[in-house]
Amino acid sequence: MSTTAATAPKKNSLVDRVGARLLVDPTLGVLALLILICLVSAFTLPVFLEPSNLYNLLNTSLVVMILAMGMTVVLISGGIDLSIGTTMALCAGVAATSMKFGLPLFAALIAALATGALVGIGNGLLITRLGLPDFIATLAMLGFASGILYIWTKGVPIIGYMVPEFYVIGGLTPLLASLTLPMIIALLVALVLGGVLGSTRLGTYFFAVGSSKTGAMQSGIRVDRIRTQAYIVSGLSAAVAGIIMAGRNTNVPADLGNGYEIQAIAAAVIGGAALSGGRGRILGAILGAITLAATVNLINLVGVPSSYQKIVIGAILILAVLANRISAIVSGIVRQRRALVLEGIPA
Amino acid sequence: MTQHPTPNGDGFLLNAEGVSKHYEGVTALDGVGLHVRPAEIHALLGGNGAGKSTLINILSGLTTPDAGTITFEDQPLELQRPSDALARGINTIHQELSLVPALTTLDNIFLGREVNSRFLGLKVKLDRRHMEERVRTLAAEFGLSQEDLRLPVGEFGALKKRVVEIVKALAFDTRLLILDEPTSGLEEEERLNLFEHMRRLREKGVSLIWVTHHLEELYGLADTATVFRDGRRVGTVGVADTTVDDLLGLMFGIAAGEFGATTNPPALSETDDETGDEVLRLNNVNRSFVLRDISLTVRKGEILGISGLAGAGRTELARAIMGIDKISSGTVHLKGKQVRFRDSSTAYQKGLAMLPEDRKQLGILPELSVAENISISSLDQVSQFGFVLKNKDETNQAETYRRRLGIKTSDVKEKIRNLSGGNQQKAIVARCLNTNPDLLIFDEPTQGIDVSAKVEVHNLIREFTAKGGAAIVIASELAELLELSHRVVVMKKGRLVGSVDNIPHALLSGQFEAVKNRILAISAGRTES
Repeated sequence: MSTTAATAPKKNSLVDRVGARLLVDPTLGVLALLILICLVSAFTLPVFLEPSNLYNLLNTSLVVMILAMGMTVVLISGGIDLSIGTTMALCAGVAATSMKFGLPLFAALIAALATGALVGIGNGLLITRLGLPDFIATLAMLGFASGILYIWTKGVPIIGYMVPEFYVIGGLTPLLASLTLPMIIALLVALVLGGVLGSTRLGTYFFAVGSSKTGAMQSGIRVDRIRTQAYIVSGLSAAVAGIIMAGRNTNVPADLGNGYEIQAIAAAVIGGAALSGGRGRILGAILGAITLAATVNLINLVGVPSSYQKIVIGAILILAVLANRISAIVSGIVRQRRALVLEGIPA
Repeated sequence: MTQHPTPNGDGFLLNAEGVSKHYEGVTALDGVGLHVRPAEIHALLGGNGAGKSTLINILSGLTTPDAGTITFEDQPLELQRPSDALARGINTIHQELSLVPALTTLDNIFLGREVNSRFLGLKVKLDRRHMEERVRTLAAEFGLSQEDLRLPVGEFGALKKRVVEIVKALAFDTRLLILDEPTSGLEEEERLNLFEHMRRLREKGVSLIWVTHHLEELYGLADTATVFRDGRRVGTVGVADTTVDDLLGLMFGIAAGEFGATTNPPALSETDDETGDEVLRLNNVNRSFVLRDISLTVRKGEILGISGLAGAGRTELARAIMGIDKISSGTVHLKGKQVRFRDSSTAYQKGLAMLPEDRKQLGILPELSVAENISISSLDQVSQFGFVLKNKDETNQAETYRRRLGIKTSDVKEKIRNLSGGNQQKAIVARCLNTNPDLLIFDEPTQGIDVSAKVEVHNLIREFTAKGGAAIVIASELAELLELSHRVVVMKKGRLVGSVDNIPHALLSGQFEAVKNRILAISAGRTES
């Protein structure tokens, strides 16, 4: 009995494995959505698929992309970071002000990164030490960060810090040909975070804590530390995004980060991250950010008034989550069938 | 009782003395001691709520004691968190599954103890290949394939999760292994396999603390048994020269003979003549890949047992009847009328109820009282004019169940989360019975329940059918199934492959072994019926 069970699945195991891998992949839904958007526009709006437009689209998506990758880590660990947008603005402000004070560029960048990390630690302490819900703690942090920036700038945008290097950092001056630094930074962030999540101890712990706090704790994991570390990751990603924003925007208004938390959450969720924790992918966040940018770009090209854009983004969010659910159901059926094949029952 | 250890502190691996723990006014442990020798299997026995789990939580670092001293390997044992216990070489298999659903089997096994390889000169990259190699043989022994190691644990059923948990505990060097009801829900083969591993660990010098409700498992395996009752230690005995009756006597504080009387199955109800009215009929029910061509009938007053190995489709059948899973073809008839449930709440409205297999999914409402948890599915019984809750009725009703099932709580108004796992299970059994449905489905109804409550749960099921209800019982333990059922059907790979009728008659004429062997033969495929 066991011998037939062992030999039966061998025959189509490669096809099965590749098929299952594709179907199990939570990013499949987003990819389908993205292809759909491209197909629709290819027929109705050829401008959309012109290389220059796609290039612009990719460039504008980078900041949200970096934020969404940090957000994905927090969502995987079972939290949510509402302060990510204002933290980005705060870090941009720190970088800009440091430059104005005459600090060298690298010191300004370090200061911005340290600010991001500090905000992350703050979020983590509020949640793990005071026992506040993630939603409340990061909402309070949103208030603090934006308040600090307003008081400090007195509502006047910070200017006069734009050295030539900042034009490169913001992507306004390309590195070579049409390659910009933000593209490389986004790629590096993706590689680092993807690597951490996929093949390090810390990444495994993020998933473990988000999926089952008791299970993680009983396995000897310091749950509170891991949750704080997830917020440090999102704080750092906000700092990186803030540095790019400071360069791209050429001035730092106090409301620079407003609304970015929603875009970051949307991109992460479109990319398959679950608010219930334990699920999410870096590639998903990347595709999610591109999907959002493509949608906005498309409706701009069609000439829809910008006031409608938010409604369309809301609709896209719902569509993407539905698409993810469908791909989950399909993969469930495939897996069930495979399990029975393994038990030796012909399908 | 020759092996009675004297707590002098010497020669013991673990020495716990005067350990107490209180939870919100409930005394879970009242100055207990536990003395475990090196290289022994030490059984920890007691009814639900005796304090076994609390002591285990202390020894595994999940909670800290209010008072008492514990030494381990002659060093004080003061655990702040589970990682401290692991660092001292104390591993625990908890009663409630402690796996992480989103991670793969491999990542779960090595969770907290990952192996790293070098990446860009830093030792940060997980070495999954190495981890897989290390655990492959052990995993295979428990029937976990390489494929299984790479799948997320969340996709497995309760049984397979339990197996993963055992492999996780066995995969690392341990000084003391604590097993809290490790065999619940396991098949015979895995059970024996685990016992073999327990023996081998003892030979290697490891000590084991083993909590079980199956006293017959102890013989030939456990060296010493410590019995707890109501948060106190009532005795430590050598297993070899103690009978099951002695142990039961210690556990429940009744004279041995007295207890023996209650464990004998009471005469089964009279309605075993299959002439009762039909309550449920399935005609050729199919669910893709899971259920094949299932036809069966359950009559009024009947208890139908479903036997079969894990993965045979027993739970799947129950879920399909309740409308939790869709059926792809075939019909379901309730009292002669064809029905099609879209979800389980429709099934409840039409008079069906189910006690599911997985305790975590039982739907315990932790912040509500025991009484509220019992009445929540049948509030009309304790309401007036459709909305007024008659608190007194609710309390009285809960009080009745508390006495009958021996739910250990000072007050039925106590929040249910303060009760031990077994007592929560009893309250949920009470909730199910209380809905007073036409058909009740019990999936492993006595899982994690102590021996005396088991008898009561059986009696309640019998009473329910004697009053005209019908019941379907799924139980891995064949003895339990036979004791309870009028008729047993056997499932295999999603099909009904045979049935044995008139079980009460057979048992009364002393053919227990014959019936048991017949069912085992049908399961194994040597069908003659």
